[in-house]
Amino acid sequence: MGRTTERRTRGRGVAALAVVVPLLLTGVAACGSDSGGGGGDATITFVWWGSDGRANLTKKAVELFQQKNPNIKVQTSFSAYAAYWEKLATQTAGGKPPDVLNVDSRYLAEYGGRNVLADLNSGAGKAISLADVNPELAATGVYQGKRYAVPWAQNTPAMIYDPAAFTAAGADPAKGMSWDQYAETARKVGTAGPARGVTDFGILDTTLEIWLRQQGKQFYTPEGKLGFTGDDLRRYWQLASRFRDTQAASPADVTASYNTSPEQSPLGKKLTASEFAYDNLLPAYQKANGKPLNVAPYPSGANGDTGQYRRPSMFLSVSARSQQQAAAAKLVDFLINDPEVGKIVGTDRGLAPNLKVRAQLAATATGNDKTLYDYEAALEPKLGAAPPVPPKGAGAIQKLLQRTYEEVAFGRMSVDDAVNRFMTEAQKGLS
Amino acid sequence: MTTLRTPDPPVAPAAAARVRRRDPRGGRRRKSQPEAFAFLTPWLLGAVALTVGPMVVSLYLSFTDYDMFTTPKWIGFGNFAHMFTGDDRYLQSVKVTLIYVLVSVPLKLTVSLLVAMLLNTRRGANGFYRAAFYAPSLLGASVAAALVWRALFMGGGPVNEVLASFGWHTPSWVDDPQFSLASIVLLGVWQFGAPMVIFLAGLKQIPAELHEAAAIDGAGALRRFRHITLPMLSPVIFFNLVMEAIHAFQAFTPAFVIGGGRGGPADADLFYTLYLFEVGFQDFRMGYASAMAWVLLVVIAIVTAIVFRTAKLWVFYDDAESTGGRK
Amino acid sequence: MTVLPRRARSVGWHVLCLVIVAVVLYPLVWLAFASVKPPDEILSRLALLPTRFVFDGYAKGWEGAADVGFGRFFLNSFLVAGLSVAANVLSCSLAAFAFARLKFRFRGALFAFMITTLMLPYHVTLIPQYVIFQQAGLVNTFVPLILPKLLATEAFFVFLIVQFMRGIPRELDEAAIIDGCSVYRTFWHVVLPLSKPALVTTSIFTFIWTWNDFFTQMVYLNDTEKFTVPLGLRLFVDTSSESNFGAMFAMSALALVPIVLFFLAFQRLLVEGVSTSGLKG
Repeated sequence: MGRTTERRTRGRGVAALAVVVPLLLTGVAACGSDSGGGGGDATITFVWWGSDGRANLTKKAVELFQQKNPNIKVQTSFSAYAAYWEKLATQTAGGKPPDVLNVDSRYLAEYGGRNVLADLNSGAGKAISLADVNPELAATGVYQGKRYAVPWAQNTPAMIYDPAAFTAAGADPAKGMSWDQYAETARKVGTAGPARGVTDFGILDTTLEIWLRQQGKQFYTPEGKLGFTGDDLRRYWQLASRFRDTQAASPADVTASYNTSPEQSPLGKKLTASEFAYDNLLPAYQKANGKPLNVAPYPSGANGDTGQYRRPSMFLSVSARSQQQAAAAKLVDFLINDPEVGKIVGTDRGLAPNLKVRAQLAATATGNDKTLYDYEAALEPKLGAAPPVPPKGAGAIQKLLQRTYEEVAFGRMSVDDAVNRFMTEAQKGLS
Repeated sequence: MTTLRTPDPPVAPAAAARVRRRDPRGGRRRKSQPEAFAFLTPWLLGAVALTVGPMVVSLYLSFTDYDMFTTPKWIGFGNFAHMFTGDDRYLQSVKVTLIYVLVSVPLKLTVSLLVAMLLNTRRGANGFYRAAFYAPSLLGASVAAALVWRALFMGGGPVNEVLASFGWHTPSWVDDPQFSLASIVLLGVWQFGAPMVIFLAGLKQIPAELHEAAAIDGAGALRRFRHITLPMLSPVIFFNLVMEAIHAFQAFTPAFVIGGGRGGPADADLFYTLYLFEVGFQDFRMGYASAMAWVLLVVIAIVTAIVFRTAKLWVFYDDAESTGGRK
Repeated sequence: MTVLPRRARSVGWHVLCLVIVAVVLYPLVWLAFASVKPPDEILSRLALLPTRFVFDGYAKGWEGAADVGFGRFFLNSFLVAGLSVAANVLSCSLAAFAFARLKFRFRGALFAFMITTLMLPYHVTLIPQYVIFQQAGLVNTFVPLILPKLLATEAFFVFLIVQFMRGIPRELDEAAIIDGCSVYRTFWHVVLPLSKPALVTTSIFTFIWTWNDFFTQMVYLNDTEKFTVPLGLRLFVDTSSESNFGAMFAMSALALVPIVLFFLAFQRLLVEGVSTSGLKG
């Protein structure tokens, strides 16, 4: 008897496994995203970073694209900046980066150099027209001779500030000021309280870059090395420390809570009255802060230069591993060149990259959009060309700068020691 | 796949092992039963394909430069050398983790033992208190609990306010390098319930007559604690110590959530596992991450070995046969 | 020792216990109230009770983040946790039966090996496992979360069930064998039913640990559509302004509800079972 029962029971065990395994797989399939089918000839994935508000605008643009291209289905997804890069890294490691992705100049070399991004000068990418894009801006997506990305928008580093607080302190940043004037005004704002004058900028790589440009220097050389010396950094951090010591800038624990999203930044939380960011973020800051905010140029250096430039606000790239490169390229072309998209998304990411579209929009802009167009128009003659694509490791250097300066802000390290650490680590990271 | 967490109450049967007598029928059937392997198949598959195999591979990877996109490149002891001579953040992560283990484990065990002794009476509502104290052990490891913790210890949050009302003005705990790790330690201590329940069960095993006899001999409470409670409880202390230490070395979620996903202010919350994750899955340095994992394994093995070795000196077993049964 | 009246000592004891209860449960109570506070009160007011009860957080939070409703995260978490429980109970009890009851070559060595894996930091196997699943195209599915459980890699539960099965009198299964039952039938009809308490414990803890798991799920799941509750909560942290704290805490509170329910339902088994049957052995 033993034998037959044994066989029967074993059979039952196998049957149980046979039930469980497909359950697992179907359970997964049921939860997976639609796998192609559903009437579309091509399904592509598209990801970006930013807030809910930005997502709503972008999705409207994608809807329009799907209407015009009924054979292409686009699946979208988004997250906040820091989480976006974290997720993209695991997705890339997992072997399946999205078909169309949002890239930042800090990570362009990293992802391009790893062959994650397709060269848009060849193959399907040729369908993307850059005819109406400022050639200088268009060039910012080229790294080592390959076009890994196209600019999605143009913005400019700027100061976002609370006009009421600064007027009370007797200054109008919109008219421009020197760093000394700024230090004094911010101190007045800070001592009047409750908000400090400015979010401590010692942690910000963009602000350091602008400050260096004001002195005719650069953050990265075209060869991908640091374009400044330890002495430059020391002077920059001494400037920031002067702000902090006089209560012009935020205290260390407030500074440490900064995480790049306007909603959670000190200015967004009403803990400071100004913050260095990008001009297109004005509405997001305004929404978080609640008070009417404005945008101003950077304080200027000795020769009156503000050091600002035509910055590729962000890029669009196509995955080199995408099975649907033609459809992906089509979406990219649509997003940067279609006039209707321009109308939908406004200046959320900055100015439209297509100059014809931009001119049309500028003529009819209202509200925050108009503020931005006016600001950029006034600045346009002063804007320089964008610096070369930052080298591989620029994303890590951004974090290194923040970490090391925090040591200074918390008084755990002298400026000199922090400078030494930064220079050593940065040079190691870039080699 | 999941971390080896505190073996909460159900581990109690582990203690059962201690008292289990040798199976009298142990040697009767020497013959190997073929059915055994049918039962063992899933486990064996897992052991080979998901444990031993990957361990061998990760040992190999630890001697390579590997980014997942290109084939691994053999670099000998390069990763290990870099760890201890060229990587300040690695050393910082070691420091943070050691502080966490050395502070949170003894603190948690002390609190859990004290509370267990408090509850070791026949008074009413005992069960209620025990349950209430135990609850955080189940909830504490979650992202939700870490989020609450972050809010409680934020600038202007309840902890700030309460301390300020006592005249102690602290910065935002979670954003300050001096306080940030402390808030994570407290989150760990908050989950004292699991070792407490195990202590409580151990305390109940101590015969009341021992205490009574000592009291009659004039021994005070402290003396009785030192000479009766501690030695009698030493096997349980030993067990809790090993488990909590292993657990603490691998802490991740609280540090990740409270430190804002980046190691906290000035890397004050850069736990070992957090840095390992960053190195492997953000910087694509899989070889280096594997090397870090192996160092962690070796450290845990050494610590466990030390605890086991010294156990002979301070762990008191009433049952000679059972020594070591508490693995 | 000062001699206090019994009653006074008893009252003192209760007061002390209640103070500890208050401290221990404060964070949870705080969360419960924070989830129904107006957003501007969550951090700014110290008082536990809100000035008025607002349930917007729940409505807003349930809409989810990044376009995926929170219901989806819950569904995913239940699916992962449920399948993990089934997989763990099945595979661990099979292995445990072999270790507890059957004779085979290398039994001692294999058992020792299993015990050793209890102490293994899983980071040691993490990266190769990730590579395996990546090569198999299984990253961003639930398979990497469940397959290891189907293969009994959680030695802790095997050990738990082994210890329990060893406590079941052998006479019972020997009688079954004498009656002509195969080993399989003995396992299925005799030992397994008797091991129910250990299986329940295994189920509860597998569920709770999987429900709370963050690291593995973060590493393996990429699409927001496939996110589980902990990952969904994390999304709130990244994108929320303070005005959205209500939603974050409302969903945090919801995330703890299944565990609290489990705790209340099995409290006796979880806590009391230990002191009565547990350490006594």
